[in-house]
Amino acid sequence: MILTKGLTRIYSLGDAEVVGIENVDLDIAPGEMVVLKGNSGSGKSTLLSLLAGLDHPTRGEITVAGYDLNSASPSELTLFRREVVGMVFQSFNLLPTINVIENTVLPALLAGKTLSESRKKASELLEWLKLSERSNHLPAQLSGGEMQRTAIARALINDPEIILADEPTGNLDSKNGRIVIDLLAELNRKRGRTVIIATHSSLADDPASVIIHLKDGMVIHPEWDR
Amino acid sequence: MGSVVFFFRFLGWFSLRNLKRQPGRAVTVLVGIALGAAVFTSVRLAVHASLNSFTKSMDLIAGRAHHVLIRPGGYVPEILIQKIIAHPSIQSASPFLSTYVRPAVTHGDSFLLIGIDPILDRTFRMWQTEKVRSKNDAPWLDLVKFPFTLVMGEPLARKIGIRTGDTIALEHSRQTKSFTVVGMLSASGLALIEGGRVAITDIATFQEFTKLYGSVDRVDIRLKPFSGSEDLNSFRKTLPQGTQLVQPSITRNSGRKLIRAYQLNLSILSFASLFVGMFLVYSLVSLNAASRRKELAILRSIGGSSQMLFLVFLAEGALFGIAGWLTAIPLSSILVKYLLQAVSQTISTLFVRVHVEALSLDIWEIFLSFGVTFITAVMAALQPAREAMSVAPNEALEVSQHGLKRSHKTKHPAAMGLLCFVVSLIFSQMPNVLSIPLPGYAAMFFLFVGFSLQAPWILEKMGHTLSPILRRLAGIPAYLASHYVRSSGTRTAVSVGALLTAVSLFASLVIMTHSFRQTVELWVHQSIGGDLFLTTKMGSINHFRYPLPPTVINEIRRLKTEWDIDIVPSRRFSLMHDRFPYEIDLIDLKVFFQHGDFFWLRGDPKKARNMAIDGQGAIVSEVFSNRTNLSVGSTLETWVEGFLVKLPIIAVVRDYRTDGGVVFYSWRHFNERYYNPQWSGVRFFFKDKGIAPDSAVKKLREEIITRCGENLDMISGKELRRSILEVFDETFAITSVLLLIALIIAALGIATTLTVMVLERTQQLNTLIAVGADRGQVRSMIFWEAIFLVVAGEFTGLLCGFMLSYILVYVINLQSFGWTFIYSVDWGALSLSFPLIILTALAAALPAVRAVFRQSPAMLLRER
Ligand SMILES: Nc1ncnc2c1ncn2[C@@H]1O[C@H](COP(=O)(O)OP(=O)(O)OP(=O)(O)O)[C@@H](O)[C@H]1O
Ligand SMILES: [Mg+2]
Repeated sequence: MILTKGLTRIYSLGDAEVVGIENVDLDIAPGEMVVLKGNSGSGKSTLLSLLAGLDHPTRGEITVAGYDLNSASPSELTLFRREVVGMVFQSFNLLPTINVIENTVLPALLAGKTLSESRKKASELLEWLKLSERSNHLPAQLSGGEMQRTAIARALINDPEIILADEPTGNLDSKNGRIVIDLLAELNRKRGRTVIIATHSSLADDPASVIIHLKDGMVIHPEWDR
Repeated sequence: MGSVVFFFRFLGWFSLRNLKRQPGRAVTVLVGIALGAAVFTSVRLAVHASLNSFTKSMDLIAGRAHHVLIRPGGYVPEILIQKIIAHPSIQSASPFLSTYVRPAVTHGDSFLLIGIDPILDRTFRMWQTEKVRSKNDAPWLDLVKFPFTLVMGEPLARKIGIRTGDTIALEHSRQTKSFTVVGMLSASGLALIEGGRVAITDIATFQEFTKLYGSVDRVDIRLKPFSGSEDLNSFRKTLPQGTQLVQPSITRNSGRKLIRAYQLNLSILSFASLFVGMFLVYSLVSLNAASRRKELAILRSIGGSSQMLFLVFLAEGALFGIAGWLTAIPLSSILVKYLLQAVSQTISTLFVRVHVEALSLDIWEIFLSFGVTFITAVMAALQPAREAMSVAPNEALEVSQHGLKRSHKTKHPAAMGLLCFVVSLIFSQMPNVLSIPLPGYAAMFFLFVGFSLQAPWILEKMGHTLSPILRRLAGIPAYLASHYVRSSGTRTAVSVGALLTAVSLFASLVIMTHSFRQTVELWVHQSIGGDLFLTTKMGSINHFRYPLPPTVINEIRRLKTEWDIDIVPSRRFSLMHDRFPYEIDLIDLKVFFQHGDFFWLRGDPKKARNMAIDGQGAIVSEVFSNRTNLSVGSTLETWVEGFLVKLPIIAVVRDYRTDGGVVFYSWRHFNERYYNPQWSGVRFFFKDKGIAPDSAVKKLREEIITRCGENLDMISGKELRRSILEVFDETFAITSVLLLIALIIAALGIATTLTVMVLERTQQLNTLIAVGADRGQVRSMIFWEAIFLVVAGEFTGLLCGFMLSYILVYVINLQSFGWTFIYSVDWGALSLSFPLIILTALAAALPAVRAVFRQSPAMLLRER
């Protein structure tokens, strides 16, 4: 379901070139819970951005859920981001001008669904994430944990097959970090979503089915747990 | 459908709520746009009202005539009418006469008196009187039956305060007489001329009143149906020499052309306000696009398309356009009241007489003002919207290396700017298009754009050279400010652009007005010499069509022998040269040159003076020469009162009389070569040189009244010259108001930009405070930034203003009105205004300073 071959992203800064990732080969089956580990600068975010169709590889092949992201047109990429993947970020990235429920339904509306049907779905998600009370609050009125749960709700609104999370616990305390990882693990276990988490912390090691180590942009030691 | 609904919902969520978070800024921009739109709209509406009223009056007067028979410079003999009607191709013909008269007792406002044959006129013009119960006869029959009766427009009657049955004494060039009002015109047809300030009388009464026995102004003619050009030609052959068959619309069209030129000039000037407002929209929308980059990236990463983001920002601009225009409506309704009066007055004194009663709301004008405002605002948002569209979705991710500087190129726009100068230069050399100075305006536009594009480069250079000096002289805040301004990129440059536009307009108009006024003043004192001016009563408003009676001429001749004075008699004729109206002014050049001179432009003055005195040729005004393409060496040929007059042109002079086109020729030689043209006016000079004291003028005046009677208009030379300059100043009062508004909008622009610059850097500024800067230092840094912007704007604006003034004086004025003036710079006004502008701009920095300290530095510790 996720297949990469020789995937490479090199940033060029004027004359200098910086390796983001280099020659990454991946083969991730549906329903896996993958944890990406590595030092700062090792290329975790770079890899995620490629998998999410936010960026283009310098070379190599990349196929996600049947989409050949290398040859996809901009509108296909937009469609892919709407329907196939859900993203969770370290700094939550909620839109500051709209409240929790509006942030949650936004991707559904972008995908052309009506407000009433997406609202229903969003309420269910928020219920599950214990955010029902917070529906009408603006992001600035939330705690970090609540913001990240809102971001998860937003990531799930379009029922994506894959959830990509970049340091989802990076801005949270250990208690809230735990809650977020547990929620992602639950999604993986109970709802069969493919979840890929990039993180420094070891919170996610337990529920992970695959742990991938990156160093200087390269995969060093894939460990197969189960 | 669904996507449209979503788009607007999203616009609300994303844009409107964001604007609501900073209402101050949004309101500022709104006010800026609204002011610009209001100025534009009200100027257009005001001139349109004049244009409309003029056209309507002219159309009503022209009636349903196919052709009009006139005799240039004089009157058509009435007996011709019988001959015309007898011609087989002619269906009907009707004489027409008109003149301005005024109530004799009150000396109230003058109004138009029309003389017609009520029966013949039926087929040409529509007019009706209100039904009066007590009378059986139609009032129009009374007009024919009883001499010295008239019917008048209701508004006029109300203004003078008379009713049907009353009598009123009316004065005119020839005499004062009592009229009986036999009816009121109902508000339709002819009654609508000049807003109802009109009266109609029978032709016989009119002729007796004006002593034009057997003459009429013109004869309106309708051809039989299906008569072709051959019939018309055969008819033309039967007409006596010196008469002319012209289109009924000819006066209307030449008047409209003048008003249109004026309208275009004012429109462009008022558009400048909108143009400055455009910078405001740009700076706010582009701030939103830049400061919300992260949000844009998030939107992209969760599935928003780049087109949507583009449209959202475009819509933000459009919203400002629409809201600004709506806000402009109440503003315009206030402004237009002032403008309506001022504009119609200016048009009346400068071009053609107009009388505006009420504002006419023209759908097209409303649409135009909305369209211009809307498009301006959308255009302003275009570039920020494109920037928003280009945000990459992966900017939403935290990548290890932040803040990779986006390089802004300052060389590239500067080069584009240079290109604009070249384009501007090319345009300034091009001739009129469709008799509109479009190339001139295009040259102006490219000059603005060219200079605005230099702004980033200038800021960078200025910051670069000044920063080391400033650190030594003004300490660290100035140093930091110069650094910031240097690298702040386009947005700062945009507010400099706004200021630049306003300053350059200001400077160029100050220079132009000053040059114009200086030249007019010189002209007035040189060519409008004379201690007393005399003409028939209401002579000027009636275009000097009623020469002085012989008795008056004899008395004046006698006076000359008894008093120590010189007299310069003259006769003026209003004529047309190929649709361009001009005057022939026959004057006693020999005496004229003893006391005054022309303002020579082309031709050798000394030679021309002698030739003119000897009647060898005519001297023409610059406007006449430019409009007719007749210059030194060509010969003017025209019919005057049945004589074919041929005048070789020997010199071109500056002249700023209202309509502009004038041809001067020796009265004596005209008399010798053609016929006695009589006098329509006389100038008196006291022989002992130097301005005569007012008392001497007064005594002369009283003497003339005792000898010649009251039926004359007299004005002392001093008063005349003063009134000419007064009219001039009034004309430019409108310009000043428009300019002031543009400057206010530019100040708003500086205020927004500075605030935006500060808010964008809250983090940085608070860090500065956290590391030990005190508030005073931060404050002074912001003031220094303001000073940088203002100085850059001033400097480039001044430079641009000088170039612009050249275009205004030598291109736009020449193309619009046919005149130029002597270029002269009003250093006093320019230098006085600058501290004012700087103060305004510094005041504009105040909200920015307040904004810094609104948030506590502790916000540094909070994650947004
Ligand atoms: N836009 C960019 N331009 C240039 N280089 C970049 C860019 N984004 C990332 N890099 C470089 O690519 C390499 C990988 O960065 P990346 O952000 O993927 O690392 P990371 O593993 O996510 O680090 P962290 O744990 O700090 O988030 C780094 O050396 C980084 O400097
Ligand atoms: Mg990272």
